[in-house]
Amino acid sequence: MKKSIIALAFLLNGCTVWDAYFMTGYDNNEYKLITEIRVDASVYKAACPNKLMSEVNATQLAYKTELFEKYEEQIPRNDNGYAASKSLNEMAKGLVSRYKADTEVPTLFCNLKFANIEHSAEVIQHVVARRPR
Amino acid sequence: MTLDEIEQQLANLANCGDPTFAQAAQYIGDATQAAKAGQLAPADLAELLRDTQRQLDIVQDMNQLAYKETLNTIINGLLTIAAAY
Repeated sequence: MKKSIIALAFLLNGCTVWDAYFMTGYDNNEYKLITEIRVDASVYKAACPNKLMSEVNATQLAYKTELFEKYEEQIPRNDNGYAASKSLNEMAKGLVSRYKADTEVPTLFCNLKFANIEHSAEVIQHVVARRPR
Repeated sequence: MTLDEIEQQLANLANCGDPTFAQAAQYIGDATQAAKAGQLAPADLAELLRDTQRQLDIVQDMNQLAYKETLNTIINGLLTIAAAY
């Protein structure tokens, strides 16, 4: 019975089932990092009218998204998690680049960028929280 | 494709019934209006539009990961049942 079920499961679609069965379980550090990114983006959004503070905030957040990307990179069988962390990091780096440009950053742009990062971090957090325990 | 056609497609997408795409369409529409009103530079609008694409990519990746998590639960459940025989 046991062998039949295992054989059936792996015959359905080898790679997907293999990835699912051996997927990395819940990781406290991964969950903490993505939660911090979400909360930071939410708090930093409110500071957007202060240009000087916002530039520092954007740099700090980009450091965390970089850390998250590098953390995800080496988790085995984690292609989707790594791809999502890369996209999130690109979003954060886009704001840092904008602050390095000569022209002033509109408050609306700052607000929307932090909101985008916050929303995406929430989407990732929701799935990371449900990794198998 | 003209600007009118793009706006029409955005309106269709906003009413498509899928919350992810409807929100994306709404966001693009609002950001475009802000750029038209001079609140955003064209380069800033372009960066926000790239963010929309990145967000859709993240949703797609997380959907796949969520399916794998569900599959993992199912396989482990089946193995537990099988072990009992």
